Order: sequence, then structure tokens, then C-alpha cells
Amino acid sequence: MNSSTITLHAPAKTKTQGRLDVLQMISGVLLILFLWAHMLLVSSVIIGPGVMNAIAWFFEETYMAQVGGPLIGLLIFVHFLLAARKMPWKTSESEAFIKHSVMMKHRDTWMWLAQVATALIILVMAFIHMWVVLTDLPITAVKSAARIQHGGWLPFYLVLLPIAESHVGIGFYRIGVKYGVITADNRNWYKRKEYALMGGFIVIGLITLVRFMYLPLYSGM
Amino acid sequence: MSRRLHIEVFRYNPLDPESKPHMQSFYVNEYDSMTLFIALNIIRDQHDPTLQFDFCCRAGICGSCGMVINGRPGLACHTQTKDLPEHIVLHPLPVFKLIGDLSVDTGVWFRDAGTRIEAWVHNDHDSFDPTQEEARMENALANEIFELDRCVECGCCIAACGTARMRTDFLGAASIARVARFYLDPRDERNVENYYEVIGNDQGVFGCMGLLACEDVCPKHIPLQDQLGIMRRMLALHSVKGILPKALIEKLAHKGCCHENHKS
Ligand code: HEM
Ligand code: SF4
Ligand code: SF4
Ligand code: FES
Repeated sequence: MNSSTITLHAPAKTKTQGRLDVLQMISGVLLILFLWAHMLLVSSVIIGPGVMNAIAWFFEETYMAQVGGPLIGLLIFVHFLLAARKMPWKTSESEAFIKHSVMMKHRDTWMWLAQVATALIILVMAFIHMWVVLTDLPITAVKSAARIQHGGWLPFYLVLLPIAESHVGIGFYRIGVKYGVITADNRNWYKRKEYALMGGFIVIGLITLVRFMYLPLYSGM
Repeated sequence: MSRRLHIEVFRYNPLDPESKPHMQSFYVNEYDSMTLFIALNIIRDQHDPTLQFDFCCRAGICGSCGMVINGRPGLACHTQTKDLPEHIVLHPLPVFKLIGDLSVDTGVWFRDAGTRIEAWVHNDHDSFDPTQEEARMENALANEIFELDRCVECGCCIAACGTARMRTDFLGAASIARVARFYLDPRDERNVENYYEVIGNDQGVFGCMGLLACEDVCPKHIPLQDQLGIMRRMLALHSVKGILPKALIEKLAHKGCCHENHKS
């Protein structure tokens, strides 16, 4: 009870806040799985542009890209709405949290701030990225490579890649903590694994970008 | 080899209109097994009798000497100066009401939290018979309850919590672990639904963002991380009863650490 509900003699029983927490967690888990799957699919270009094209063809032929793409966009938006409940929107909140992080010099506290900051960048960049790719179907390795070699998209991806991977990596760790899967006993083990996973995906992403940079644009296709 | 400690202390007396918040430096010669509590007493005895800070038991039992020590909340009596650098910076615990200098009022905060979580044994007994023998309890269970009862309400976990610092109505790890203590206790006849009513919200378990500063600073090493996880999972699953299949909820409820011995 607080001053705004004090006049409600019997506060309503509701399960909403628990359900929203579960939904936030589920939206997070789905996005983690999506991001990892996405990374593995795109990085197939490292093996060869033909492999990537075949996968892209499959996803478009089955309409998974045309339907799934917007669905993922929707999922990101829903996740944003849910997670935004926790974000420090008020100046007083963000000031308090930043001051607190500086005072504590505590890695996990800083990581939450990193998650909030990366979130806002992803919110803008993910939708630009999705718009560009999904309004220019079919997806082919050569088109992607052209964007990176001549379209000026390289810096864009060099920013989005580490930011998205850190957001997801931190989120993965914190879902485990919040729901008691990561316990005091195995916390350090999970943290190390999480850093390794995060680093691993960033490296795969970078290799993929390098592959696009040097992919010949006018042969084969 | 003894060091000369440079102790920088936050000074402010809210009752004195002339007083402005500022830092004041003191110099104290360190000696063997000196604690911050001793150093502060030396300062008060020899340098400035107006310095305000709290202590009582000087043994990590009363919980009154919590303060921010070089950025981290901790107990002054529990902190040896040899574990700190030569330059020590002391602030009062944030979140709580400042009484003056390093002294804060944790009592009002904890009483309010205790009322909100209804930190007492609930049952439907008509009356209490003081002549009756107390109900017996397994030793292992008694130990488990005691493990959580060791909290001295020093407030370090609250002051270390970014969520509590942003949101004044957040109950914090100590309160949630306190509910977990009642959840374990068979004499408390509240069910999951009842616990959900007190901490199943964004001021309670769902407000926690898993930053784990509470776990990392608690001077009594109360297993806060694990209790926060257990309670959140239990109450989150409770909120989706009837939506997710029963078998799945059962399975998730018993994964990892759990309070298995509690009737639910
Ligand atoms: C659209 C922009 C996004 C915003 C504004 C956003 C915001 C946030 C915020 C503020 C949190 C922390 C919530 C908390 O502490 O309780 C969070 C958690 C998380 N985010 Fe995002 N996010 C965005 C996009 C994404 C994307 C694209 C992914 C994955 C591909 C993702 C994955 C996660 C995960 C896994 C968590 C942890 C969930 C949890 O703690 O329950 N987010 N997000
Ligand atoms: S849980 Fe630990 S840090 Fe928090 S009030 Fe209790 S003893 Fe202090
Ligand atoms: S784990 Fe929860 S209670 Fe502990 S410091 Fe973090 S937000 Fe606060
Ligand atoms: S003086 Fe009692 S806990 Fe420090």
C-alpha cells in the first residue's frame, strides 16, 4: 500500500506483475535464440556464398523470412515495452543509478547500465537493419556484400554487432540469476562461459563481415 | 610496519542550518588488527568529538555500524584497516535517512519493510497456549531457517542495490530473504498465494534486476542470490498457474535449488 492506493480499502489481487515478468523473460529467451540462429545462418557465408544463398532461398520459399521477419520485429517491440518498465526513464532515476555505479565499482551493476544503453541503440539500429533487408528481398550474399563494400554499411554493422551481442549476453546471464538457475555456487562458472560465448559470437560476426568485405561481387551469381 | 591512515569522512549535520555537506580528512596511526570501528573512535576521542557514527556491539551483531567504505557498503566493526588502502573514504549509507555524518536511520526503513511483508508468523489458531510444549522441528530445517535469520538488518544490501537507490519503494534483498525465512518455517501457515500478495510485485521479487550487489556486500553472507532466485521463480510460476500446463510448472519448480521441505 502506498499513498496512491491508500484509499482502496481492499487492494485488488492481481497476478499481472508476475505475468509481465514471465513474459519479459520469455521475450528475452526467444530473442536470444533468434540472435544466435541469425548469426549462425548469416555466417554460413564463411563456408561459401552458395550456402548462404541456399539457406536464404529456403527461408523465402517457405515465407519464413517474409512472415518471420516482421514477427521478430514485433517481438523486439513487445520486449522493448516490457523491459522499458524497468528502465531509468526519470532523470532522477538515471542520475541515481549512474552515481551508484560509479560509487560501487561493481561489475554486475555496471552491466545493467550497459544493457540499458545498448538497448536504446538496438531499438534504432535493429529496425533500420530489418527495414533495409526485408524491403530488398531476396537475400543474397552478393547483395549483402555490396551493401558492406559500397553502401557504407560496414561501420553500421561494426557498431550493431558488439552492441547486440553484449545486450544479449548480459541478458542471458541475468535471466539465469533472476530465476535462480545461476546460483552462488555456479555464478563464476556461468560468467566465464557467458563471456566466452559473447566473445565467440562477436568473433564469428567479425569474420562474417570480413568475408563480405572481400566477396567478389560480379562472378558466380 | 605501521601506516599512517588518511581517513576522509563525509560531514553533514542536517539539523544545523549552517552545516554544508563536505569531506573532512583525519590522520590516524594504524596498529595491528585495527578495525575501522577503532579508527573512528580514535578520531572521535582525539580529533573531533562531534563526529557522528553508530556502533554498539563492535562484533558484527547489532548491525548499526553500516557505512560506505571506499564505495562499498560494509560494517565498520567488521572491516580491518589492513584490508584497505592507506586512503579510506567513508560515506553514510545511501537510501536511508541521514541522521548526521556517518549515522543513518535504518530502523524506520526496516520496520516499514517488515510491516509490508508482514514479517511475523501467521496462523489460524484461535488462541496461544503458553503451557503447551513447542512443536518439534527437524534440526536440519531449524538450521536452514537460522541461516536466513542471521540477518542483522544493517542495510548494506539495500544501500548496495541500484534498484533500491532508484526506487524508494523497492523492498530489497533483506526483505525478500526474510519472506523466504517464513516460507521455510512450518509454523507460518501462509501459502504461496499469501506470499505473492506481499512480494509478488515490482516492489518485491519482480523489481529485482539481478545485479547481485546485495550478495556481494552482505557482511553476514546471507545467501541472498539464491533466495531471490527461489522466491522469484516460485512466485512467477504461481502467477502463470492455469496458463502453463501443470506438469511443466511442477518440473520448473523443482529444478535447481529449492525449498523442498516446505508444504505448498
Ligand atoms: C528494441 C530495443 C530493445 C530494448 C529497448 C531493450 C531493453 C532491454 C532492457 C532495459 C533490459 C533489462 C530489463 C531488466 O533489467 O529487467 C533488457 C533485457 C534483455 N534483452 Fe533487451 N532490449 C531491446 C532489444 C533486444 C534484442 C533485439 C534482444 C535479442 C536479440 C534482447 C535481448 C534481451 C534479453 C535476453 C534480456 C534479459 C531479459 C530479462 O532480464 O528478463 N533485447 N532489454
Ligand atoms: S541481508 Fe546482509 S546486508 Fe542485508 S541487512 Fe541483512 S545482514 Fe545486512
Ligand atoms: S540482486 Fe536484486 S536485490 Fe540484489 S542488488 Fe540486485 S536488484 Fe538489488
Ligand atoms: S557495531 Fe554492531 S555490527 Fe558493527
